[in-house]
Amino acid sequence: MKYLYSEKNNFIYKLNTSTVVFFIFTLFLLSLIFTHPIYLGTLFIITTLMIITSGNWLEWKGYLRLSIPIVIMIILVNSIFVKTGSNVIYQGPTLPFIGRLRITLEALAYGGAMGLRLIIIISLFCLYTYTVQPDKFMKLFSRFSSKIIFIVILSIRLFPLLIEDYKRIIEVQKTRGVKINKGKWIDKIKNALPIISVLLLSSLERSFEQAESMYARGYGSGKRSIYQKDIKRRRDYIITISTIIGLASGLCIFTAGQGSYSYYPKLSNPSLLDYRLYSILVITMILPAILNWGWKKWPILKSKI
Amino acid sequence: MADIKIQNLTYTYPEKKEKSLNNINLEIFPGEFVLVVGGSGSGKSSLIRSIAGLAPNFYGGKSTGNINIKNKNLKKIDRRDLVQTLGIVFQNPESQLVMTDTEQEIAFGLENIEMPEKIIKRRIMEVTSALSLSNFKNSFITQLSGGQKQKVALASVLAMQPDILLLDEPTSQLDPIAGEEILTMVRRLNEENGTTVVLVEQKLERCFHFADRILIMENGEIIKDSKDISEIGKWSAEKNKSYIPPLSQLFAKAGYDHIPLTVKEGRNLINREKNNVYNKEEKRKTCESRKRKLKPASKENPILSIKNMWFNYKTKEEILKNINLEIEKGSFTVIMGENGGGKTTLLKTISGLLKPTKGKVEIQGKNTKKLQVEEIAKEIGYLSQNPKDYLFLPTVREEIQFTLDNLQIENRENIDKILEQLEIKKFADLNPRDLSTGERQRVALSTVLASNPKMLLLDEPTRGLDYDLKEKLGKILKELQKQGTAILMVAHDVEFAAEYADEVVLLYEGSIIEKGNKQDLLTKSTFYSPQISRLFSDYEDGIVTVQQGLEALSKYNQEVKHEII
Repeated sequence: MKYLYSEKNNFIYKLNTSTVVFFIFTLFLLSLIFTHPIYLGTLFIITTLMIITSGNWLEWKGYLRLSIPIVIMIILVNSIFVKTGSNVIYQGPTLPFIGRLRITLEALAYGGAMGLRLIIIISLFCLYTYTVQPDKFMKLFSRFSSKIIFIVILSIRLFPLLIEDYKRIIEVQKTRGVKINKGKWIDKIKNALPIISVLLLSSLERSFEQAESMYARGYGSGKRSIYQKDIKRRRDYIITISTIIGLASGLCIFTAGQGSYSYYPKLSNPSLLDYRLYSILVITMILPAILNWGWKKWPILKSKI
Repeated sequence: MADIKIQNLTYTYPEKKEKSLNNINLEIFPGEFVLVVGGSGSGKSSLIRSIAGLAPNFYGGKSTGNINIKNKNLKKIDRRDLVQTLGIVFQNPESQLVMTDTEQEIAFGLENIEMPEKIIKRRIMEVTSALSLSNFKNSFITQLSGGQKQKVALASVLAMQPDILLLDEPTSQLDPIAGEEILTMVRRLNEENGTTVVLVEQKLERCFHFADRILIMENGEIIKDSKDISEIGKWSAEKNKSYIPPLSQLFAKAGYDHIPLTVKEGRNLINREKNNVYNKEEKRKTCESRKRKLKPASKENPILSIKNMWFNYKTKEEILKNINLEIEKGSFTVIMGENGGGKTTLLKTISGLLKPTKGKVEIQGKNTKKLQVEEIAKEIGYLSQNPKDYLFLPTVREEIQFTLDNLQIENRENIDKILEQLEIKKFADLNPRDLSTGERQRVALSTVLASNPKMLLLDEPTRGLDYDLKEKLGKILKELQKQGTAILMVAHDVEFAAEYADEVVLLYEGSIIEKGNKQDLLTKSTFYSPQISRLFSDYEDGIVTVQQGLEALSKYNQEVKHEII
């Protein structure tokens, strides 16, 4: 089994892990605090731009395929069950449990906005998975609690091993006549027992061996140092500062109440209130994409930042 | 000043009654390359663990006696100092690596002893280039091959710059080429950096010649400690023990005074003594006579028949290409070939775990396409590489019963017969997971044999076994063959194939490139031929087994003696 992360040759992958994580976190936070459709739409465009820039378009398509049906479900459920809202688009027969079918424009719009927010979050998760190396991410936090972080790193490392073990054990037990996925659910559980037992026993034995190897390399002998091979370049400072400005402008928009939007009882006027803050937000958050484009166009930029 | 000095060391594992180490006294000097040899359960690993301070500090148990590392009592050495004096590499590459990528793994030990970042960076640079891992610095551990993983394990230990390197069967889980590479690196460290090496290893032919000193262990004691290979050779031949490589054993048994360690030395020896007594005409004659001894296999009703079979995983490239193979009752065939050449996949298509994409596999005339794995399992036994994958029940007997229950076989008389045949009857009521590697493997084999299969598939069954265990396995397989079971085995182990198999199949990039009897195939090859046949290649054709070698050698020896008289 392979990890999802693999380094690609573009600007995003040449950033320090902390810079990328901070950038993705900012987008995530903004997508949570904004309810305004224009802001959510803008965040969606920024996220899409970042995914394309980082060369993960194909990977993202898989995520979209999975999330779009969920989004449609959200819109449907919200518009069927929430009957508030003044603009009635459709009024239908009385249904059991639901009552009279009454679909309003407001409920539809609200469902749409929430669906969009979900797509942004899933896309950010996709961006994180493909652009942040798990070890490096964990190491960012090891200054706070090295033990917990270490457990997480070890689990990430063990997971693919476990999957491999599982596949192998299934094959072996099949040749011993164990019928997998056959019969009633109770048979299935019974048949899974040998596989789970072997998996558990082997994992326990392996953890013991791993612990021995760790002990033999001095783990737990006192305070640890942290080795981080990532270096920070000028580009990291540029992106970090611009992301801070972006985040600040986003928070200003939020505290001024411009980021929220009232869907019920009647859709309010969606026009923007402060073009200056909005432009700052957009420019700062698409800066990585702009720099990636500039980097490709003028190779000299590579050595400068 | 000795690097390691052990006095009256006795060690018992927790919850065990018998001592794993008994009154060990040993001194190892700086720069020495010490090879520790012994059967499974002889105390080799316990010795290494004791020197590394793992037994009893990590394992628990009781330990008496004294161990001094560089003149300092082991108990008084701070753990941080110890890990920088002494490094240990274990058997299984998979279970000694804990981080996700190579660089972080190498840094792990250094972080533990609080090395500053700058030094860590330098050490990583040094070890990765020394062990030619530079290209894999950023690779994920899971994406590395077994050999590369073991190199990373070695690198992570070497990064701590230890003066003493302990290795506990570091190549037992690797294929021969990767194993060779690791041992060559260890040898270089010993020769060029003066690192003291204590190596436990099963494949003696790979490392016997570069050891300065050999320790032989039995029942927790060091029963032989010598620097003189010939002495050990003679001693070993006298006691009929397999503590020396097959080639040396051959000369020791034939009564030679000087025991060679490599094929080159052996050939020189024969050359000197024999003065080319045989001519070419005679050479051909001996070859023909040996071949005639092989009985021709019956071509009627083969157990297995594979016709124009192709296999590929979904959307991936072809793994097996146009395979045609017939296996008869009572035959013993070994499939050999490079890693990733499709050997294991071929076994899986026969056992029904994978279905061919094109062509067909027939078992006793029945196409396997529509058969379930468990239906095929009644006819064809499959022993995978890892015996642990089979074992989960509290006793050996229950393991066998489990297979019989699953396959709905009522007849239980077979159980005791199999237990006896595989010499595991005494373990029948023990937990299989508590047994040693060789014993576990025989238990796994017993669960496979329970259904009395007509054909047995084995995937690398000799991996991790010492000579004695291999011999035991070989004899068991021969016995099964005699009873009419067809045996088809995947192996890297040329020596084993030469000794026990009858036919050899060479698989390359998913195609069978040659199939024939072992005399033909194993003597004409440079790499796929056993030491014995390489030894005699100038004088006689068709020598592949130790017995044949022994006959030839004894003959030469007598002739030489005759000439002298």
